[in-house]
Amino acid sequence: MHLTIEGIGKDFPGVTALDDVSFEILPGETHALMGENGAGKSTLIKIITGLYRPDRGRLLVDGKPVDFTSPRDAIAAGISAVHQERNLIPRFTVGENIMIERPPTRNGVIDFDRVHAEARKFLDLIDPTIDTRTEVRHLSVAQMQIVEIAKALSLEAQVLLLDEPTASITGHEADALFAVVRRLRDEGKAIVFVSHKLEEVMAISDRVTVLRDGKIAAAGEPISAMNRGKIVSAMIGREERVAEMGTRSADRSQTVMEATNLATSFGHKNVSFQLHKGEILGLYGLVGAGRTELARALIGDGKVVSGELRLHGKPVTIPNVPTAIRRHRLGYISEDRKAEGLILTHPIRSNVAITVWRRIASSLGLITRATERKLVHPLVDKLEVKTPSIEQAVGKLSGGNQQKVSIAKWLAAGVEILIIDEPTVGIDIKTKTAIHELIGEITREGLSVLLISSDMPEMITLADRILVMRDFAIAGTIENSRRYEPMSREIMALIHAGSAEVPQTGPAPEAARV
Amino acid sequence: MSTLTRNMSFGQRFLANEWSALAVAIVIGLVALAALSPAFLTEFNLYVMLRSFCVVLIVAFAQMLTLAVGQMNLSVGALGGLVAIAVGGMMEKWGFPVPVAILSGLTIGAAGGLINGLLTVRTGINGFIITLATASAFTGINLGITESIPFYNLPAGFVAFGTGRFYALPYLLLPPVLIAIALAFFLARTVPGRQLLAVGGNPQAAELSGIPRDRVIVTAHTLSGLLAGAAAILAVAQLGSAQPTIGVDWLLMSFAAPIIGGAALTGGHISVAATALAVVLIVIIQNGMVLAKVDPYWVQFLLGALILAAVGLNRLRAVRAGGA
Repeated sequence: MHLTIEGIGKDFPGVTALDDVSFEILPGETHALMGENGAGKSTLIKIITGLYRPDRGRLLVDGKPVDFTSPRDAIAAGISAVHQERNLIPRFTVGENIMIERPPTRNGVIDFDRVHAEARKFLDLIDPTIDTRTEVRHLSVAQMQIVEIAKALSLEAQVLLLDEPTASITGHEADALFAVVRRLRDEGKAIVFVSHKLEEVMAISDRVTVLRDGKIAAAGEPISAMNRGKIVSAMIGREERVAEMGTRSADRSQTVMEATNLATSFGHKNVSFQLHKGEILGLYGLVGAGRTELARALIGDGKVVSGELRLHGKPVTIPNVPTAIRRHRLGYISEDRKAEGLILTHPIRSNVAITVWRRIASSLGLITRATERKLVHPLVDKLEVKTPSIEQAVGKLSGGNQQKVSIAKWLAAGVEILIIDEPTVGIDIKTKTAIHELIGEITREGLSVLLISSDMPEMITLADRILVMRDFAIAGTIENSRRYEPMSREIMALIHAGSAEVPQTGPAPEAARV
Repeated sequence: MSTLTRNMSFGQRFLANEWSALAVAIVIGLVALAALSPAFLTEFNLYVMLRSFCVVLIVAFAQMLTLAVGQMNLSVGALGGLVAIAVGGMMEKWGFPVPVAILSGLTIGAAGGLINGLLTVRTGINGFIITLATASAFTGINLGITESIPFYNLPAGFVAFGTGRFYALPYLLLPPVLIAIALAFFLARTVPGRQLLAVGGNPQAAELSGIPRDRVIVTAHTLSGLLAGAAAILAVAQLGSAQPTIGVDWLLMSFAAPIIGGAALTGGHISVAATALAVVLIVIIQNGMVLAKVDPYWVQFLLGALILAAVGLNRLRAVRAGGA
């Protein structure tokens, strides 16, 4: 199917989200759609999939103009999308979710055996390990993503739009997905692929379209004519800047956190590591390796069942989160900012001050806005949170600014050790650099950071040392040379050591960024 | 004041406000009734109206606190009935002094709320189901004790408080006004108050920020029970007798007022002022219907329409403001 986007424009109150966007999507190609947050990618996808109607311009399928009034129209025309928002029903099984639009019936009753059999076929294309009879709510984020992709595949789309499909999956899951993408492309389907990850765009796409501020900055350029630098300058209108980490000066003589043979209620075994003052200790691993769970056990949201945890040399047990924060000055920034990190409907002021209400309250237990502001203003200024006011609801900020608010709240709490889980998921390149530099800066001021990330370049840019985790245990520790190629090879070797899989060599050489 | 609100005209600021539509509706209602009915602005009618405002307001606050943490309390009325009977019994049968009876009544209310809270938190079962069950239990205890017979012989001073007035102002108005001020202050300025709203706004985020989530939910339920008790005691004073039926008609009103006042059922967003204005509006409408000799059943109908209109209006405002 040949999809033409012709002069598309869309306005929202106060902003023009898209302006005169034209390009073509051809059968049998993988077409990357790139742009920073707010560049208009999601709006464009919503127009193509019938969620929004354009204010100007039109869509043509095989040369004939079409007017989608709902996603059903788009699906009927052969266009399916996997959106960033999860569109699964938590209490339905995987099979029902995949077959939800057209459940097979017998005598008017849903035939569940066929539901699962049909769903199985599509799921097997990507991940045979997911049971179609599991309820979706029991799946990990990565697995939910897989199910959504399987659901889109099952709609027999001729054009398949994947909106940041790899934002929360890692390594071999992404590779498996790319294999499917290539196979579908070879079958003549068009894959539109939205991603912030240049490495994967360079690796799998045939052509690339870049949006900047709602306008076309590059229209369907063959990937062979592009390189990393060209794409980035098309996206941000200037050259890319890699985070300047400065001289790293972790004090290796001062151990702030030391784990010895920890076992946890989540199933970790023999976890041992040391975190030094001012250090960024990376924790790398595939989704499901137990990194987030380890963080939760450390902060008292889960139990350490054996082994020893020492903070500043003293053995401790942390029964709950308030104790971790108040007594041990240990904080955690969740990977899921929206669901677990911030109170979206509340202003920046109370989102930051929340950790210290007890401390800033007067002797009568009262808090005034003035005291909150006195605390929050300097932090918001220091972290350069872009907002008209600290009374702004956090939900209205961009992802990058939300993450800055998350960091601000832990700086307000005066933590000495901060566990940061996936700090830049869904954050655009420009802001990503700012967040990286911010993390570098707070560690130079003496904070120690345990950094969880599935983003290999991010890990290699930031971490001083990298712990590689596999199956709820530490597979090894690597001193970070900050050279991308050898580091990624070494990390992948540790991840796949002992498994039958062929070790990955990491992304193509031009993807190296450090 | 934030730069956002500073840059808006007075009119825009007024419209952006939670309670602006309510205030406008109240003014329109007052003017219309004053113009249409000569009986409306009489001292006695104003007294009657203010008097019917008192119990309802506290009941609305009782529900509002559970809504604040994203929970519900279906047992407000049942708990209120139980407290009313307990207080009546203590005064009539056992001859307790009035202050002792009142304190005991409030304690029973708080204890009932505490039970709701603990059951919710410990079992992990939704508060809706827990309070549905305890509501039935509380009513059972109430009717078991009284066999549906009210207590009529209450201390004269207590009954006098319920009927006394200073011109149009009933003495009965004093407790709800004090409670409203205290609540507004509690939610805006104290640590437990702010924690309550934080837990309602996003339970996971609040917990990971070091707020003891379970304790906060129990606190909300306990305060809700305490207020249900306070409302019951006021209702006994107002009626001059402790009826076992006190509380049976509270449930709809308890949700209506906070919701008309813009409360989010998902939690984290409530307003004491808007809830109070919503009660004022409801009372004015009821009074207007009475003056117009409309069948009281139509008041129910109008209340339903009002809830839908209020929710629709809030939704519209949220959309205008560009999402959540």
